[in-house]
Amino acid sequence: MAGAASALFLLDIKGRVLIWRDYRGDVSSVQAERFFTKFIEKEDDPKSQDPVVYDSGVTYMFIQHNNVYLMAASRQNCNAASLLLFLHRLVDVFKYYFEELEEESLRDNFVVVYELLDEIMDFGFPQFTEAKILSEFIKTDAYKMEVTQRPPMAVTNAVSWRSEGIQYKKNEVFLDVVESVNILVNSNGQIIRSDVVGALKMRTYLSGMPECKLGLNDKVLLEAQGRTSKGKAIDLDDIKFHQCVRLARFENDRTISFIPPDGAFDLMTYRLSTQVKPLIWVEAQVEKHSRSRIEITVKARSQYKDRSTATNVEIELPVPSDATNPNVRTSMGSAAYAPENDALVWKIKSFPGNKEYMLRAEFSLPSITAEEPAPERKAPIRVKFEIPYFTVSGIQVRYLKIIEKSGYHALPWVRYITKAGEYELRLM
Amino acid sequence: MAPPAQSQRTQSPSQPSGKGEVSDLKTQLRQLAGSRAPGVDDSKRELFKKVISYMTIGIDVSSVFGEMVMCSVTPDIVLKKMCYLYVGNYAKVNPDLALLTINFLQRDCKDQDPMIRGLALRSLCSLRVANLVEYLVGPLGLGLKDSNSYVRTVAVFGVLKLYHISASTCIDEEFPVTLKHLMLNDPDAQVVANCLTALQEIWSAEASNSEDASREREALISKPVIYYFLNRMRVFSEWAQCTVLELVSKYVPSDNNEIFDIMNLLEDRLQHANGAVVLATIKVFLHLTLSMNDVHQQVYERIKAPLLTLVSSGSPEQSYAVLSHLHLLVMRAPFIFASDYKHFYCQYNEPSYVKKLKLEMLTAVANESNTYEIVTELCEYAANVDIPIARESIRAVGKIALQQYDVNAIVDRLLQFLEMEKDYVTAEALVLVKDLLRKYPQWSQDCIAVVGSISSNNVQEPKAKAALIWMLGEYSQEMHDAPYILESLIENWDEEHSAEVRLHLLTAVMKCFFKRAPETQKALGDALSAGLADFHQDVHDRALFYYRLLQYNVSVAESVVNPPKQAVSVFADTQSSEIKDRIFDEFNSLSVVYQKPSYMFTDKEHRGPFEFSDELGNLSIGAEAAENVAPSLMVEANDKDLLLSTSEEEEIKGPAYNGSAYSAPLYDASSPSVSSLSTQSELAISNPILSGNASQSSFAIDDLLGLVPASAPAPAPLPPQLKLNSKAALDPGTFQQKWRQLSLALSQDFTISPQGVAALTTPQTLLRHMQGHSIHCIASGGQSPNFKFFFFAQKAEEPSNYLVECIINTSSAKAQIKIKADDQTTSQAFSDLFQSALSKFGLS
Repeated sequence: MAGAASALFLLDIKGRVLIWRDYRGDVSSVQAERFFTKFIEKEDDPKSQDPVVYDSGVTYMFIQHNNVYLMAASRQNCNAASLLLFLHRLVDVFKYYFEELEEESLRDNFVVVYELLDEIMDFGFPQFTEAKILSEFIKTDAYKMEVTQRPPMAVTNAVSWRSEGIQYKKNEVFLDVVESVNILVNSNGQIIRSDVVGALKMRTYLSGMPECKLGLNDKVLLEAQGRTSKGKAIDLDDIKFHQCVRLARFENDRTISFIPPDGAFDLMTYRLSTQVKPLIWVEAQVEKHSRSRIEITVKARSQYKDRSTATNVEIELPVPSDATNPNVRTSMGSAAYAPENDALVWKIKSFPGNKEYMLRAEFSLPSITAEEPAPERKAPIRVKFEIPYFTVSGIQVRYLKIIEKSGYHALPWVRYITKAGEYELRLM
Repeated sequence: MAPPAQSQRTQSPSQPSGKGEVSDLKTQLRQLAGSRAPGVDDSKRELFKKVISYMTIGIDVSSVFGEMVMCSVTPDIVLKKMCYLYVGNYAKVNPDLALLTINFLQRDCKDQDPMIRGLALRSLCSLRVANLVEYLVGPLGLGLKDSNSYVRTVAVFGVLKLYHISASTCIDEEFPVTLKHLMLNDPDAQVVANCLTALQEIWSAEASNSEDASREREALISKPVIYYFLNRMRVFSEWAQCTVLELVSKYVPSDNNEIFDIMNLLEDRLQHANGAVVLATIKVFLHLTLSMNDVHQQVYERIKAPLLTLVSSGSPEQSYAVLSHLHLLVMRAPFIFASDYKHFYCQYNEPSYVKKLKLEMLTAVANESNTYEIVTELCEYAANVDIPIARESIRAVGKIALQQYDVNAIVDRLLQFLEMEKDYVTAEALVLVKDLLRKYPQWSQDCIAVVGSISSNNVQEPKAKAALIWMLGEYSQEMHDAPYILESLIENWDEEHSAEVRLHLLTAVMKCFFKRAPETQKALGDALSAGLADFHQDVHDRALFYYRLLQYNVSVAESVVNPPKQAVSVFADTQSSEIKDRIFDEFNSLSVVYQKPSYMFTDKEHRGPFEFSDELGNLSIGAEAAENVAPSLMVEANDKDLLLSTSEEEEIKGPAYNGSAYSAPLYDASSPSVSSLSTQSELAISNPILSGNASQSSFAIDDLLGLVPASAPAPAPLPPQLKLNSKAALDPGTFQQKWRQLSLALSQDFTISPQGVAALTTPQTLLRHMQGHSIHCIASGGQSPNFKFFFFAQKAEEPSNYLVECIINTSSAKAQIKIKADDQTTSQAFSDLFQSALSKFGLS
C-alpha cells in the first residue's frame, strides 16, 4: 500500500460532516468540511467533478451514494484505485446493516457507524470489509447482546470470508447467471461498440464449511478434456473471481472450486468482446412538419428466437425539451411522456422474439423560439430489457457440486437472464 | 468524531444549545456511576448515546469527562466502545483528563474477553498524548504476545501509532524487532500484513537517521522475505494483497528465471475481482520486466484484457482510476490499445470525468489505421453532448491532427466544425486551425477560404479571436477582406477587453501592412495610436516598439515582425521524460491520477515508504534548486494547451530566436532540477555536501554569464596518456543538458574488488576517492546494495568533458558504467582511466 488514509468522512448532500473517523490526526474535519462544501457548491453538477481532488496538501477521494458522500482524505501518495474501491465496499457494508445508506439511516445508527468505522480501517489501512464477518462482532441491535463477544473465527482463520458453525435447516444455493449487453449504435445504424459483461451471482444458505465445485461449458476446459465441443462450448475473455475461488487451481485445470461466503456475492465476472447482434433494434424517424409540429415514428424489432421473450422493455426516446401536447399511439405497450427527462418512455411488458412493434407520436412545438436557442443535447435512444432463460454468450452451468463433511444434500437452483446494460442507439 | 472546536457551527433551533443539557447529563451520569442496580446498563447506554450524539453534532461535551470515565466500569461492550470513542475524541485537548482514563484502559487491556483487550489497546494507542507514552509500552508488549490474533492485529498498529507519538520510545523498546519476528512467524495473515505495513513505515522514516534502519528496510525486499510473502499470497485479505504486491514490485530478482517464476505465481492475481489487486499485480509485472524488452511487450499484451474489463465494469470512480493508469501506459506503449479504441468511446450518461479521460485515451491511441473511426466518433461528441465535452472533443481532433502524417480527412472535419455555426465549436475550431496551419502551411488555401467566411462578430472568446486575428495577419495576402476586417476590429479597440487579443491585433495589422500597405495604412495608424494610449503595459510597449521600428526603417521592421517562418514540426512536449519515469515508478498511486510525481503534492513527512533514492533523476545535485519555485514552473509545464500564450509571440522574435527559444532555457533549467528536488531533500540529510560544491556553484554562475576564462584550446596532438583537469567544474544544469544531448559513447560492465565493496558503505567514500583521481561527482544516490553516481571529468588541456553514469551493486560486486563524451575518440582512454581509478578504491 502506497500510503494511508488520514480520515474517513460521511457527509450530507451539502458537504457537511455527518460523522467522521480520524485515523492519523493530520486532517481535521473543519478543514475537510470547509474545502468540500465549497467544492460542491462551485459546480452545478457535482457528478461531473473528478472523484479525486487535491487541496493544500490533502487529497480527497469521494463517492456519492443517495444523499450521502463518502470521502477519504489523505496526505500521502496513496493508492487511489484501492481507496475508491474501499469506499464502495463501505457502502456495501452500510447497506448490509441499514438496508439503505442515506443520511437518515446514518443519523439513526451513529453508534454502529462509529463501531464499523473503527473496525473497517485501522490507522488508515483497510482491515475487514466483509459485512458478514463484521456483523459477527458488531450487532445492529446492541440491546440483544447477552453473550460476551468473541472475535469471530473468521477474523483469525485462513478462510477470512466465512465463519465456522453456520447452520441452516434447509441447505440451498441460488446461482443467477446475469449477462448485460452493452451496445452503441451510431446514427448510420452501424454498431460501433458491443460487448457483454457477465456475472455469476450466488446466494448461499449452506451449513458448515462446504466445498463447492462449479462446471461450466468452458471451451478451454472441454478441449483440454478431449471432448469435442459441438458449438456449445464458449470462450470467455478475462474472467475475474471472488476471492474465495482457488485461482491457482483454475489456472491449472480450469476447475472452479471454492468455499463460498455466507449469503450473496458475485462468484465470477467475465467479458465477451465478440460482436453481438442487437437483441432489440430500434429505428426512429423524426419529422418536423412545420415549425410547430414534430412527428416521431419508431419501429422496435426483437432479434432473438421465438421461444424467448423479453420482459419489462423500456425504450426511452429523446424529444425536444420544448415539446408539448404529446399524442401517442402504439401497436403494443404504453407510452408516457416524461418531460423531466425530455423523453418519451415506451414500455412493453412482454416482447416475444421476432416481432416488430410501432409507435407514432406527435408533439407541438412553440411557434416562437427563444432568440438564442439553448444548444441541443442530442441524447441517444436508450433501451432497457430483461430476457429470462437466455444468455447471449451461451454459457451453461453443467454442474454445481456441494460437498460438506456432514454429508447433507444441498439444492442448487440455477437461473439465466440477459439484460440491457449501456444500450444506446444514436438518433439520425 | 467532531472535535469540540466545531461548536461555532450555526445550530438550528431544534438542536440542543448545549449547556443546560450537558449539565443535566453530568448529574444523571454521576447518579448512575456508582449504581449496581439491575438495568443500570440500559440507562447508561441511553445517556452515553446522548453524549456521543452531542459530540457528533459538534457540541462540546468534554465537561462530562470524569463522569464518563467513572461510568466506564462495566462489562457491557457497547458501553465500553462508546466510552472509548468519547475518550479518544477528547483526550488530545484535555491531556490531564486523559491521564484519568489510562487506569481503566490499562485494566481493560487485561480483560478476559479478547474483544475488549483489543479495543482497549486500540483506544490506548490512539490517545496521541506524548506524556502518556510510558503507559503504552507495557500493554503493547503484552498485546503483541496475546494468544488471540485480533489483539495482536491491533497491537501491531499500536506500535506504529506509538512510533508516531514517540519514535525514540518505540525504537528503544525494540518493538520493530518484535514486529519483524511476528511478521515472519505469526500464523495469522492479518497480523503478518499489518506487521509489514508498520515496518515499512517505521523503517522508511528511520532510514534517514540510521544505517541499521535502512538496512532493515532493504531486508524487507530481500529474497527470503519476498518469497515468504509470495508463497502465502492466497491467505491474505484483498487489501493486504495490495500491500504485499506493492512490496514485491520493489524486488530486484537476480535472474530471468526468477522473474518468470514470480510472474507465473502471480498470474492468477490478474483475475482477482478487486481492481486494486489487479492494478498492483500489473505494477509488479511491469517493473519486473523493465529490463527485458520482449517480455515487457508481452506483459502489455497480457494486462490489456483485465484493464479493459476494469474500465467497463465497476463504478465510474474505478473507471476513472484505471483510465488514468491506461493513459500512462499508452504514453509508454502507444500501440497496445490501438486496436481497442472502441472501448474508449463515451457512453451518454457517463460522468464527465470519465469522458474526459476517454477522450485523452482516444487521442493517445490514434494512429494511421484507426484515425478515421476515432475522428468520426469525436465529431459525434462535438455535436451531441454537453458543451465542455464537445470542446474537449474538438481539441482532441486537433491534437490527433497534429500528431498524424496524413491529415486530409481531419482538416475537412475541422473545417466542417467552422461551418456548424455554434459559437463554442467555432471558437475551438479556430484555435485548432491556427495550430494546424503552423504545422502544415500547405493547407492554408483550403483553410483560409473557410476562415475568411467567418464573421469576426461571431467570435467572442479571446483565444479564438486571437487565433482568427493571427490568421488574418499571416494570410492577409490571400484573404481579400483582411485589412478591412482588421480595421473594423481596431475601431472597436476600446471594447476589446482581452490584452491578448489587442496584442495580436497590433502584430496582425503590422503584418498586413507589409503586404498591403495602401489598404492598411490608416488601420495601422489607428492601431498604433490606440496601442500607445492603452492601459495595459505590454500592449503599450509593443505599440511603442513597433512605432519606433517603423520610424527607424520599414524593411528592418518587416524582417523583425514578419520574418519568413518555418513550419513547426513538433510542438513542445509538456513533460520531461524524467518526470514521466518518476510517475511510472509510482504506478498505482495518486501520482498517476495527478500526472505528477508524489513529491510535488505531498509533504516530506508524508512520503510513503520506499521512495528510493537510487532511481533515475533521483539525484542529489549540489546546486541550490529553489524548491518553492519548482511547483509554479511545473504548472506551466503541465499546461497541455496547444495554444501559444501571449508570451510566445514567435513573430516578434528574429529568425535567430526561432520558435520557442524564448521559453526553452527556462523550461530546460526547471524540469531537470525539479525532478531531482525530492531527492535532494531526502538525501541532503545523509549526504554531507561535497566540499568541492561551493566552488562549483560559483563557477557555474560565471559559466552562465559567459565569463569562463576559456583556456585557449590547444591544438597540440593528443598525449598518449589522457590527463584530466583536477580542478574541473561543471554545473548540474549543463551536465543534465549535455547528458541528454550527447549520445552514448561507451557502456561497460566490470567487477569491483572485494575491498572496494567493503569500503563502499556510503556514496561519500567513493566520491572522495574518485576526486583524488580528478573525477568529480555531480550527483549520487542509493543505499546499499545499489548505488548510483554521476561523475564528470575534463581534459587537462581543453574544455572537453566526459560524463559518466555509474551504477554499483555491492551485493554482486558489479559496476556498470555509461560514458558520454564531447570528444568520442578518447572515451575508451577515459574509460580505462576511470576503471583503474575505481579499482584502487578501498586499497588505500
